[in-house]
Amino acid sequence: MRTITLIGAIKEALAEEMRRDEDVFLVGQDVRGGIFPHTKGLIEEFGEERILDTPISESGMYGTAMGAAQEGMRPIVDFMFGGFSYVTFSECSVSTGQYHFLHGSQRSLPVVMTAGVGTGQRLANDHAMSIHGTFAHHPGIKVAMPSTPYDAKGLFKAAIRDNNPVMIPWHMGIMMLKGEVPEEDYMVPLGVADVKRQGSDVTVLANSVQLQNALKVADKLDGEISVEIIDPRSFVPFDMETLLTSLEKTNRLVVVDEDWESGGFASTISARVMEQGFDLLDAPVTRVCMPNMPVPGGYMEEYVAPNPDKIEAAIRNVCA
Amino acid sequence: MSLTKEQKLTLFTNLVRADLYDKMMYRRMMQGKLIGFYHPIEGGVAPGVGACTFLNKDDNLNPHHRGHGMAHMISKGIDVRTFLAEHTGKETGCCKGRSAFHFSYPDHKVYQMSGFIGHNFAPCVGWGYAAKRRAQGQVVMNCSGDGSYGQGRAHEAMLMAQNWKLPIIFFCENNGMSIFSTAKEMHPTENISSLAQGFGMPAVVVDGQDVFAVAEVALAAIADARKGKGPVFIECKTERFTEHDIGTPDLAGWEDRTPAQHEDMRKREPVNLATERVLADKTLTQARIDAIREAALKEIEEVEAFADASEIARPSEEELLANVFAP
Ligand SMILES: Cc1ncc(C[n+]2csc(CCOP(=O)(O)OP(=O)(O)O)c2C)c(N)n1
Ligand SMILES: [Mg+2]
Repeated sequence: MRTITLIGAIKEALAEEMRRDEDVFLVGQDVRGGIFPHTKGLIEEFGEERILDTPISESGMYGTAMGAAQEGMRPIVDFMFGGFSYVTFSECSVSTGQYHFLHGSQRSLPVVMTAGVGTGQRLANDHAMSIHGTFAHHPGIKVAMPSTPYDAKGLFKAAIRDNNPVMIPWHMGIMMLKGEVPEEDYMVPLGVADVKRQGSDVTVLANSVQLQNALKVADKLDGEISVEIIDPRSFVPFDMETLLTSLEKTNRLVVVDEDWESGGFASTISARVMEQGFDLLDAPVTRVCMPNMPVPGGYMEEYVAPNPDKIEAAIRNVCA
Repeated sequence: MSLTKEQKLTLFTNLVRADLYDKMMYRRMMQGKLIGFYHPIEGGVAPGVGACTFLNKDDNLNPHHRGHGMAHMISKGIDVRTFLAEHTGKETGCCKGRSAFHFSYPDHKVYQMSGFIGHNFAPCVGWGYAAKRRAQGQVVMNCSGDGSYGQGRAHEAMLMAQNWKLPIIFFCENNGMSIFSTAKEMHPTENISSLAQGFGMPAVVVDGQDVFAVAEVALAAIADARKGKGPVFIECKTERFTEHDIGTPDLAGWEDRTPAQHEDMRKREPVNLATERVLADKTLTQARIDAIREAALKEIEEVEAFADASEIARPSEEELLANVFAP
């Protein structure tokens, strides 16, 4: 099978969905020129009516998508960097999440939001923070994040066809990661985790770039500790069943998440495992997260953010 | 554009209805027969009626929150029985009793009432975008108060509407007040509509106590927007006779609004003004006016009876959880 990059897979999903459905369109800033590669060149095929650049007006930009979705269209809004979604947070999170429920399930809001996130570029907090946990905190929004090119294409397609708002950030650290991606149409359903590697001593739940880090660590520990690796792929809905099934075998859990330790998604998962799988555990759940400081820029990012060394230490600790 | 006799009759009827609906809401709040809060629109009913009476069903409307949008919605032809049921927490409410005052009538393109002031502005760009792409002459009537124009999103929406020449009417109901704060203090120019100038958008200021004047201006703006001439700003100078919402003191800044102030603004009560006009130009006789009032009271009685006869919505937690996401 051919291999393409993760960002190339996102572009392919956008283009195929726009070809399939006239109501799908893209709104963002500098997306016509392709500020990130997944939007570059779309203007040539789809024109200015469907590839929209707005002023630096995040509320108006998100509102274009939100209002059009209320009108029955299927917009994709690109925030460029994840932190920029906070500029219109009351719209893209609070109002969006409550829309279907509060208005008596009369209308759904099929908006897809995306943005580049994460460490690795040395850009510091507002350009490097994780946003999936914050969006997952607000009910009514589905949240997913790909860790391979295959999942990127499939998750974006599933998100665009979903009738609910979906936030699907992609991590800049694996933007150029290459992998096998079928040319045909397929979807990766939201809410289905993927066991990326079989193992028997410990389960590592890791997403996006940290999933890739965890895979490297597991290879390194091969023969010493048998590591099972699960990629949640979506945070909302979350596939608890796959995680609990894995814990029946391994009885140990490390959750790796680049979001902050405090109030992040890793905390939610630890609590749920306590509630639903306490008897399966032979050791306390361990988390590897961003320490509770603004994400630093510069070189210190490398040793502050979750990384292979920290993941390895956590695995050894939980298995000791 | 001068109004036909038929148009004046419709406007007058809607004005009387809107005013009586407001009085009903006020009474019910005092009686404890309304949930949440109520922001009376007494003294400020004419703008909504003038803006919405001649909209088509497939035009988008953001009703102003004051009077919780009823002046606007009844003028657009929406059956508000399910609105009152919603506002009383009933199963038959337009949002199944889940929303308090966050009503929505998507079939009439009233997509949301937001609890965040100014949160009409972002989605209105999307409604305008959809209208322009479909090119069927649909317009967006985007009504909100003077206070809402303090929000950056208002400025963003005006900027983008003008960039893209979207069929949006920025309809500002300027009652000079935002809770306790006055527009005089909170806005640096006499007219909120001066903002439009910065975006190269045409703007008009109209006497918001005169429902016929408002309707003339609105009709012209709607016609222009339908033709694809882009956005327009309409500012209605109106009044808020009551406190901001029932139970809140009636202050300007931190001091009571004075009896003299009240007496002054009440000189121009919109229903009285309209009544004088329709009698003077012989659009209506006193007998017809009385009949319009009677019919409105009867309509409202039925709306109340519907809400009161409905059961309180108490769905199970499981059922609610099953409705967080759409299928
Ligand atoms: C984002 C936000 N900030 C503040 C409020 C509180 N609030 C409710 S109504 C209101 C005043 C609105 O004034 P205006 O837009 O002029 O409308 P009016 O009530 O005068 O008709 C305020 C400040 C709110 N609901 N939402
Ligand atoms: Mg006001």
